[in-house]
Amino acid sequence: MAELALAWKALTSGWTVPAAFLGVAWGIVGGALPGISPSIAMALLLPFTYGMEPVVAIVMLAAVYVGAEYGGSIPAILIRTPGTNAAAATVIDGFEMHRQGRGGEALGISLVSGLVGGLVGLAVLVLATGPLARFALAFTPPAYFALGVLGLSVIAGLSGGSLLKGLLAGILGFMIATIGTDPVSGVARFTFGSPDLLGGIRPIIVMVGLFAVTELMVQAIEPAWAKADARDARLRLPDWATWKRLVRPQAIGAAVGTFEGVTPGAGGTIAAFLSYNEAKRWSKHPEEFGKGSVEGVAAPECANNVVTGAALVPLLGLGIPGSNSAAILLGGFLLHGLAPGPMLFEKSPDVVYGLYAGLFVANVAMLLLGLVILTPCLWLVNRPKPYLMAFILALVVSGIYAMQASLFDVGLVLAAGVLGYGLRYLGIPQLPLVLGVVLGFMVESNYRRALVLSAGDHSIFVQDPISLGLLAAAAAVAALSLRGELGRARREGAARR
Amino acid sequence: MRRDLACAALGLALAAGYYAAADALPRSLLADGVGADGVPKLLAAALAVLSVAIGARSLLDAPVAGGVAPGLARHLRALGVAVLGAAFVLLAPALGYPLALALLVLAAALYYGAALGWPLVISAIGAAAALWLVFARGLGVALPAGVFG
Repeated sequence: MAELALAWKALTSGWTVPAAFLGVAWGIVGGALPGISPSIAMALLLPFTYGMEPVVAIVMLAAVYVGAEYGGSIPAILIRTPGTNAAAATVIDGFEMHRQGRGGEALGISLVSGLVGGLVGLAVLVLATGPLARFALAFTPPAYFALGVLGLSVIAGLSGGSLLKGLLAGILGFMIATIGTDPVSGVARFTFGSPDLLGGIRPIIVMVGLFAVTELMVQAIEPAWAKADARDARLRLPDWATWKRLVRPQAIGAAVGTFEGVTPGAGGTIAAFLSYNEAKRWSKHPEEFGKGSVEGVAAPECANNVVTGAALVPLLGLGIPGSNSAAILLGGFLLHGLAPGPMLFEKSPDVVYGLYAGLFVANVAMLLLGLVILTPCLWLVNRPKPYLMAFILALVVSGIYAMQASLFDVGLVLAAGVLGYGLRYLGIPQLPLVLGVVLGFMVESNYRRALVLSAGDHSIFVQDPISLGLLAAAAAVAALSLRGELGRARREGAARR
Repeated sequence: MRRDLACAALGLALAAGYYAAADALPRSLLADGVGADGVPKLLAAALAVLSVAIGARSLLDAPVAGGVAPGLARHLRALGVAVLGAAFVLLAPALGYPLALALLVLAAALYYGAALGWPLVISAIGAAAALWLVFARGLGVALPAGVFG
């Protein structure tokens, strides 16, 4: 009861609700701009929170996180440009729906699934911070390695019918992830003397290049689709029949998002891809995935929004920031003289319960702001094709430049676009490559750290119970995905004959 | 079939080059048992094996009738988009971000088939101004000043 009173007091104290709305609005803008990650959007706002009440400041920063994770899906659906890493999985079916003139429906599904995910994440945060924080603490390098392998295990399901080419694409992505400073010895690898490459190639550069720039190149030679959405120029929330179809992928997204969210370092990207793969496997209509499936939008969107709440579990419970965004939020706490961890619940319960209340308002704000802005967004992408394409190109180069004020990064994104065009021509799927880029560093660095800890003994990966469980899960996911893909290939082969 | 063979050939060439680059990495006193080159060499080997498998499969499979592949002119046209972006990269430091971006929007719209006229020029200037406001004023990004510096 006392906790509820603290939450209510925070909500009625004057500035918490406006702060949540403003934070979400800023987050949606940041998330929708390619290259501006949720953590960058939060970091840009951090100095402005200095003079605010602690609870208002923390709510505003957390609301930016909520808004940004959702905002990334808008360009992913409308212009095939994931605004954030986690929105990459939404591109697959979201953009396909848009091409089919169902952009308003895709945006509506993304919005409500994001809301469901955000509320589930909040419930996880409120109800399970204590026990889940202890689970997060049990993660060791072997477990992180196994977590990365679990993420890679969905490659078969993302291979689009050619397992060999899917695996090849995954290895290409892994190779890109090895560029930069070696995680253990500090040796510069494959940088060819360029200091710009020492920090590696950011996954968002590869994603924006592969999805957005490649699409811009293809659109230069393919028939116009600019008016494809003209018959669906308004946001459409799902009807009852669609809702019934969304329950299962949302439940999968919620479960996967919770697991990945409480695990420091995992994040929304792995959650989105894993939940997409699982939603496809458990769907009654797996054949629709990749061709504009409503479930293919709901699962990743729900998962990456669950992460916004669940990722705060290790921060609030242990004081450990498990992601860049959580680290910025930690900065917000420290800026106001607050130290996250178990003692925060004793010393500043008003901030903790005020944050819970603020996150609830932020999720409602996300829904309301989405209802207001999405129809204008649809109008915007229904402009004549030459204007739209030119603006997307300008947005891409500006957003990527803004990440590090680097024209070199703009060159990289263009190169990634050319690579993506080549992959399309050769029939090599792009998604496994994205997965390899995202997970490559995590897998390699933790594999080698684990071996340093065990003096080269590989049995460490099966002695650690979490690692063993995750590796077993990875083997099961890979085997089931492989069986599904081989079955599909057989059916398609028989149909051709 | 030709595309799969090309894929296999490119994969093998990349695997060989990547392996050679990994082998040339300097040894560090801080190196672990695996070493900076360990995982890359493994990846190169896996890439080579997969490339051979793709090539072998394409030779064994019966050719499947497919659509007409786009010709070289169409590929070059697609690459033109990347060339426009590269021109922006080269010109932005000298011209400044707003001017270079307005020219990029103008050139790209023309490339996609827009008619040259005042609406296009105004749109290009408007888009560049809007993005400059968002990134320079809104987000505080230091954009190349060029002639405006």
